[in-house]
Amino acid sequence: MIAKYGEKLHRDRSVAPGRVGIAAQDDVMLSEGAPDLARLAADVLSHLSCMGVVAASPTLPFAEFLLRRANAGAKTIVPLDTETRTFLHDIPVVRHGDQAGDPACAIAALLSNRKGVIAEGLGIVAAGPVTLEQAYINYSSVFHAAFVKYLLDVLREGFVLPGEEESFREFRETFLRPLTAEGLSFRARSLDDPGEILSEMRAVGRYTVERGLVDSFFGNISWRAGGTIFISQTAASLDELAGCIDPVPMDNRSTTGITASSELLAHRRIYEATGARAILHGHPKFAVAMSMLCEEKDCPVKDCWKDCPNVRMLGDTPVVAGEIGAGGLAVRVPPVIGAPGKAIVYGHGVFTIGKDGFEEAFRSMVDVENRCRAEYFRRLDARTGH
Amino acid sequence: MPLCEHILIVDLSSGKMRREEIPQDLLRAYLGGRGLGVRLLRGRHTLSPFDPEMPVVFAVGPLCGTPAPTSARLSVVSRSPLTETVYDCSAGGRFAWRLRAAGIFAILVEGKSRRPVVLAVTPAGEELLPADGLWTKGVGETVRSLSDRGSVAAIGPAGENGVLFSNIMMGEGNAVGRGGLGAVLGGKNLKAVTVDGDRPVPVADRERFDRARADVLRLFRASPVIFGELGISEYGTPALVDLMRQRRMAPTENFRRTVFEGSSVYSGPAIRAAYGAKKEGCFGCPIRCKKRASDGRPLPEYETVSHFGGLNAIADLQAIVRSNDACNDLGMDTISAAATLSAWGEARGRFPSPEEIGPLLRDIASRRGEGELLSEGSRRVAEALGKPEISMSVKSLELPAYDPRGAYGMALAYVTSNRGGCHLRAYPISHEILRRPVASDRFSFSGKARMIKIAEDANAAVDSLVACKFAFFGASLEEYAELLSGVTGVPHTPQGLKEIGERIWLTERFYNARNGFARADDDLPSRFFTEAGSSGEGIDVPPIDRARFGEELTKYYRIRGLRDDGSFPDDGFLGRQP
Repeated sequence: MIAKYGEKLHRDRSVAPGRVGIAAQDDVMLSEGAPDLARLAADVLSHLSCMGVVAASPTLPFAEFLLRRANAGAKTIVPLDTETRTFLHDIPVVRHGDQAGDPACAIAALLSNRKGVIAEGLGIVAAGPVTLEQAYINYSSVFHAAFVKYLLDVLREGFVLPGEEESFREFRETFLRPLTAEGLSFRARSLDDPGEILSEMRAVGRYTVERGLVDSFFGNISWRAGGTIFISQTAASLDELAGCIDPVPMDNRSTTGITASSELLAHRRIYEATGARAILHGHPKFAVAMSMLCEEKDCPVKDCWKDCPNVRMLGDTPVVAGEIGAGGLAVRVPPVIGAPGKAIVYGHGVFTIGKDGFEEAFRSMVDVENRCRAEYFRRLDARTGH
Repeated sequence: MPLCEHILIVDLSSGKMRREEIPQDLLRAYLGGRGLGVRLLRGRHTLSPFDPEMPVVFAVGPLCGTPAPTSARLSVVSRSPLTETVYDCSAGGRFAWRLRAAGIFAILVEGKSRRPVVLAVTPAGEELLPADGLWTKGVGETVRSLSDRGSVAAIGPAGENGVLFSNIMMGEGNAVGRGGLGAVLGGKNLKAVTVDGDRPVPVADRERFDRARADVLRLFRASPVIFGELGISEYGTPALVDLMRQRRMAPTENFRRTVFEGSSVYSGPAIRAAYGAKKEGCFGCPIRCKKRASDGRPLPEYETVSHFGGLNAIADLQAIVRSNDACNDLGMDTISAAATLSAWGEARGRFPSPEEIGPLLRDIASRRGEGELLSEGSRRVAEALGKPEISMSVKSLELPAYDPRGAYGMALAYVTSNRGGCHLRAYPISHEILRRPVASDRFSFSGKARMIKIAEDANAAVDSLVACKFAFFGASLEEYAELLSGVTGVPHTPQGLKEIGERIWLTERFYNARNGFARADDDLPSRFFTEAGSSGEGIDVPPIDRARFGEELTKYYRIRGLRDDGSFPDDGFLGRQP
């Protein structure tokens, strides 16, 4: 298990090569990875009633920059994307000064109350109270939240730290890869056979992760066949969907779908409103960041991410507000997604649909993210004068 | 500044009652609810459950009476006559907040009244009222008779007659169930307790509290199990019927099979269609998982429909609802009643028919005819019939409706539970089946020993706050620690709460050890190691590997700091606890 999550973190490029340590405990403590980080993870875990801890240096220094950009007295960083608001609440920071003596103890003290922390000079440390996978998920959540917040902060405030601009340039020119659907294979015809449906969903889920449209644990995917929605389960990893897809009757005559994605209601209403066959939901980072830029002046709405009643446009893609699950997302997305085939939820992610297959939905999501990426850099260049 | 909390001590033998301040160090170390009750049993934990001096403690938690979601609950703690373990059970409704609103955090009842009495509590004081006229009455009539005295907790004929799985029923239909604490009250001649407070409970740091509450509610909305369109808010716990059928782990015919073909007649959607089920909740609870029929009757929970259904091979929703009604009015636990009938059915070669169930339940409550033996629960029934292996129980507590062959963490948690075969102590169904907060492999023991230990500690804290387990299908101790910090003004963390939970859990285990419980009692019925479940539809349900099970249990003991035989390394544990 430790090796599996170490590999996943490398594969999704959220940790610097060789810079991850993972500890897990059953009746004995096990740790693997970079010796210093593995030791740190084990030391932190020894203070906690948890299953596992991930300690890693991220590929990108965004979390470190956020910590150093915050004022010296700040104890936490508060990203405003939906994942953070809903699950993390805030991200504590551990500065060099707090690490004097026993850094593991200082980190554990903060992890005793939150899912992940940013430790200056070390990276991100996250805990899994129930499973080791949870530590991996929490690491990914902090990495994602820091990524999105940093994009927004740079756009709003520019570069303020020595070396920041150079690092960001390297991110832009080297780290970011062209995002494309080329080279992927989709089934060309509509699917009705459950075996074929499950196979295609597993493949497309994996593509979504591999192409960086979502971090492994997040997002969801579904296919409608007659009166049944085949949908990924809650807490499923899109690149590991075998055995994690629920067939849910459209008419609610059975409740087996209680384990389906928290967005089941949104999927059902999108199918009812659009007649689509496929839905894909990911959290591509530039789209998430750009959805949070609103130029409305003197707006009375304070909690825009859930209360904004307006439909904004990012290019030709509508942006709406709405909470996860039984919040407003399931109400606001279905009416706007039909014609463009895509919609962004404020601070959350992108929904796309396919009328006959997943290829349309996948290409649409790639297109949304590419346009948001381009628009982000256009605005950044305008701000910095490049 | 921590609140000053009071306990009402009632000596039924003398009729004397007094209010005392609860020492702050006990509240800090045990929170309230289950933890406080377990602590207050210290020194009398080896008394017989029916010894007049064995206390029964009713205790709310520090969140009760505030707008903290799902926290208007209390725990009742004593020693179980069914399992003979230390025993606690929590219940919602209105009783808990009306108790705290009367200025009382806990009631400790000891002694035995010479005549049946009702304990009536108001903010102005408390009194013992004669209850001869209520004795022999059903719970419904008792509650109606006392309705002008606020919220009511009462026993029915089953508790009066010493049925070992008799409940204390809350007037709103909630139950202090499973372990027979109704019989303990009956043995004390205490028919009911009424509470009628109306004082508000202060919140020390309102801003912090409100922020935490908003976080909790957001997580509830993001949870498909809670507020999903197929979740428990919509369908109640019978939302699990279809899922357990699909996972092939629905106990059927006394756990001989794990799929009951007729289960769709009592699924959540079927109950809604047949009874026009309406939502109802405990005081201030946003989830409102309780369901009532259009005529106001409480509708059965998942465990009840499954055990009066598939476990007894009955595919008749009307009959199941009648069984639920009967148990509620007689004051009996539905899981143990149905499981005892099922074991008896297997022993005699025929499960009871829907028509036989009602008369049998009444005979059990009256302890007459076949009911005399059946009133003692499945373990004693099976032993009396010379077939001890057919009691599907752990430490004499009948197993609920999750077959352990379909969830190995559940298998382990059934045996490590300090109150016997209960699903709620570690509640691994949350991650093994419902995927909350993350999924674990239900057919693997890997890591389960520590997962169960951590969950038992966390849930001991939850039971001491006292919050509802269902809240944790969405939220976590992270948010509830914040709620507690907001209410008390004293910082709390999830890690700190788990450490409190560990203290409570070990105290319970220590009490049980002093009463003779050992590793041999931490075992499942042999059926689960020798017979397969109902495999099919691509799901294989083999017997549990006994050697692997034993290995994981040993790991569990080591993680707990116990010896490999499950015993404590020394006798000084209690002396080191506050």
